[in-house]
Amino acid sequence: MSTVLEFNNVSVNVKVAGTEVALLRNVSFSVGQGRILGLVGESGAGKSMVGRVLSGLLPSNLRFASGEVRFQGNVLTGRDARAFLGRRIAFIPQEPLSALNPVLTIRQQMFEHLKHLKIPRAQWQSYSVARLAEVGLPEPEAMLLRYPHQLSGGQCQRILIAMAFSGDPELIVADEPTTALDVVTQAQIIRVLREVQRRHNTAVILVTHDLRMAAHVCDEVAVMYAGDVVERGPAATVLESPLHPYAWSLKNATPSLEGPQYVLPTLADLMPGLKDMAELKGCRFSRRCPTRDEVCARTVPVLEQIVDGHFVACAGNCRAQAGQRQPELHVLPEPSISAAQPLLEFREVSRVYQGRSKGTLFHALRPLSLTVRPGELVGVVGESGSGKSTVARLMVGLIEPSDGEVLINGLSRASATAAQQAEMRKVIQMVFQDPDSALNPRRTVERLVTQVLDLQPGITPQARREAAERLMNQVGIATDALHRFSSQLSGGQKQRVNIARALCMAPQLLVADEIVSGLDVSVQALIMNLLLTLNRELGIAVVLISHDLSVIRYLCHRVLVMREGYVVEQGDTEAVFSNPKHPYTRTLLASVPPDDANAVWPREVEVV
Amino acid sequence: MSTLAATSSRSSVGAWLAHPKVLVGGLLVLIFVCVAVFAPWLAPNDPNAQDLLATLLPPMWDEGGLAQYPLGTDSLGRCVFSRLIYGSRLALLVAVVAATGAMVLGTVLAIIAGYMGGMFDRVTSAIVVLWMAFPPVVFSMMLMVGLGTGVVNVILAVVLVDWTRFFRVVRAEVLVARHREYVYAAQLLGFSHVRIMLAEVLPSVAPLIITLFSLQMGVAIIVEALLSFVGLSVPSDVVAWGVMLADGRDQIYQAGWNLLAPVCGIIFAVLGFNLLSDGLRIVLDPRLKKRGSDA
Repeated sequence: MSTVLEFNNVSVNVKVAGTEVALLRNVSFSVGQGRILGLVGESGAGKSMVGRVLSGLLPSNLRFASGEVRFQGNVLTGRDARAFLGRRIAFIPQEPLSALNPVLTIRQQMFEHLKHLKIPRAQWQSYSVARLAEVGLPEPEAMLLRYPHQLSGGQCQRILIAMAFSGDPELIVADEPTTALDVVTQAQIIRVLREVQRRHNTAVILVTHDLRMAAHVCDEVAVMYAGDVVERGPAATVLESPLHPYAWSLKNATPSLEGPQYVLPTLADLMPGLKDMAELKGCRFSRRCPTRDEVCARTVPVLEQIVDGHFVACAGNCRAQAGQRQPELHVLPEPSISAAQPLLEFREVSRVYQGRSKGTLFHALRPLSLTVRPGELVGVVGESGSGKSTVARLMVGLIEPSDGEVLINGLSRASATAAQQAEMRKVIQMVFQDPDSALNPRRTVERLVTQVLDLQPGITPQARREAAERLMNQVGIATDALHRFSSQLSGGQKQRVNIARALCMAPQLLVADEIVSGLDVSVQALIMNLLLTLNRELGIAVVLISHDLSVIRYLCHRVLVMREGYVVEQGDTEAVFSNPKHPYTRTLLASVPPDDANAVWPREVEVV
Repeated sequence: MSTLAATSSRSSVGAWLAHPKVLVGGLLVLIFVCVAVFAPWLAPNDPNAQDLLATLLPPMWDEGGLAQYPLGTDSLGRCVFSRLIYGSRLALLVAVVAATGAMVLGTVLAIIAGYMGGMFDRVTSAIVVLWMAFPPVVFSMMLMVGLGTGVVNVILAVVLVDWTRFFRVVRAEVLVARHREYVYAAQLLGFSHVRIMLAEVLPSVAPLIITLFSLQMGVAIIVEALLSFVGLSVPSDVVAWGVMLADGRDQIYQAGWNLLAPVCGIIFAVLGFNLLSDGLRIVLDPRLKKRGSDA
């Protein structure tokens, strides 16, 4: 096996306030021919910077400080890298829909790419067809004539994979190629990527935040944290027995789909930003590390081999304990669901939209009946476009049902008086998906969370302050954040403020629409645990909309699986997940990478 | 961090001025406003006083020019410099009042139409499309013929022609803001529509309105000059740059400065407003601001 790419102690620096900060600090790894290396880490870990170095497109304020990159044995310079782009080093982007030009057909874009690869014009058509067929696109000739908007995200990503492989490059860098896709599509794309990669014996660097997926797809993984490679080793070993405390918490921050449930362990603090990195002289993880000691702050950890081929960068005492240290996991507390009158009831509720042309109807939600009892956590799961969000909006009353009845505390919303409706709003509140869009950037946190108090005439500033402080305590943010604006908060803090605003009315039911998607896994764990606390300690019922099955299993007692407006399966979460009845539920479950690193994933599953 | 938050709103004016376009544009506008306000003290002569013994004098630095008339005189022997200074008063009045009127009318309708949608939106949008189909110059002249001359009517004509510009642009922005999740959140908290429009939607389109307002002031000056030029604006005893243009046109070969002076005045004022508008667009856009401070 020949080595295709080698990073030897590569450091990339950026100047911040006069001092140089290393965005990549002595990063070393290598990928051999036909091998897949996974770069795993959360946002800010420096994973994408590796891609930037390989594309020869470092932003002008960054400096390649030291080390060398060897490609096929030769030192790779920025100019080489740019000359190799597409031909010898190819990229698969994160957002398939925005990576393709919307005004050109696939054929035009494919041909443009083949022209760049200097493939003779006469072969373009047959070449394109063959390559599209290779990634499993049906009717490649017809596909060539389409525009990107006529294709699904999965199809676009397949086309981009075909384009990346069409120059028969020696190295492919796939930067989070599946994060924008649904779980089922993700599994398909990964399978295609693997098949094509094996056939061409290409070296692949897979950048991802999902340690579990990386463990199944890659031969080797490198876990990155704040510009350091903190752990590197054979993929299955790293998932099975992570040595670095960060890799351990990354693994345990996502709830599993099988076995007993534990309260997710969470890390204090945040991934250091540029300014913090300048101050962290030693181990950059030390601030969040549960087992840190005074050595960590001073010593820069170096990758050292612990077991055969398994490296870890951990200074001081940690290394000695590495491997044996298994932080305690707590079993989830039991929920208390009262059998009293349901908080919310759907009676044959459906929602239909008028299509573009007259007469065509789009059924966002087929007739659905359900009840949510006080203190219950109900999950709604499905792909995008399955009608999940329609259910959420119908629950809170943002849209009216086309047919059927929504009852709150036994009272129909449609026939309620204005005073009763105001009362209903106090019972149900919604937490929105995107905290950037859900928080008015022109209000301080205090004004945001206590916005509803504006409705009460004569509210004193003191009462407002007290209410805001109480809410901050409930969601776990220090009260000094009250004067900040949402742009000055981190992603996790924004989502907590978002939840705090919904809590201000002391609701009995929270409808949470995809509130943990788009967050880093460690932040995701914090928010999930917050929802758990709200439910167990305050008895607030939650309807959680999510596409992530593990999130649903962790939090919810009951689950509804949705597809194309229909609820295809519902019932007790454990029962549905351990014994799925509907083929679609089975497909969904099979699409999630399992905990067992030796299990085969992605499996061959028929698509329903 | 908390002190940063507290001071950020106050120091923002300072941050705006750091942008060269805002600085230069703001300076030009400030000079223009000062000239208009302090015209009686700045002008050497009465702008309407005729000196029939000294008609068509060249500027003072030319041969035959008099220091009494720095920019020379027109065909009736009136001081061009003083008329230039006094002309800015009408320009400023029209600019501020007409732009405000167009802004209020256009924005109010745009926010209601964009927020409420439905029939009101469709009807107002249709009217605006029809309205904009009229050539603006012809339309304002028609209005002036109908309304008769006078400063109030000039302002009214500019408002009636240009409110559609505000409507179109602001409505598009309201449509975006209306579907932000914080607007839905306010709805769920039980706020009234009027309150949501004022407290949530209006602030998010305010930067755009400020930018358009500044641009509109420049447009209003041009329209006023244009209407004065064709004699449809103000009575002849009111000093206006458009009137000066019309007067100077006959002696364009003998006394070019008569024409050049009001042209320079218009360029100065409009350039100031346009630069300010463009600069404000950049400093008030949170996306551009972020990119700028990162680099």
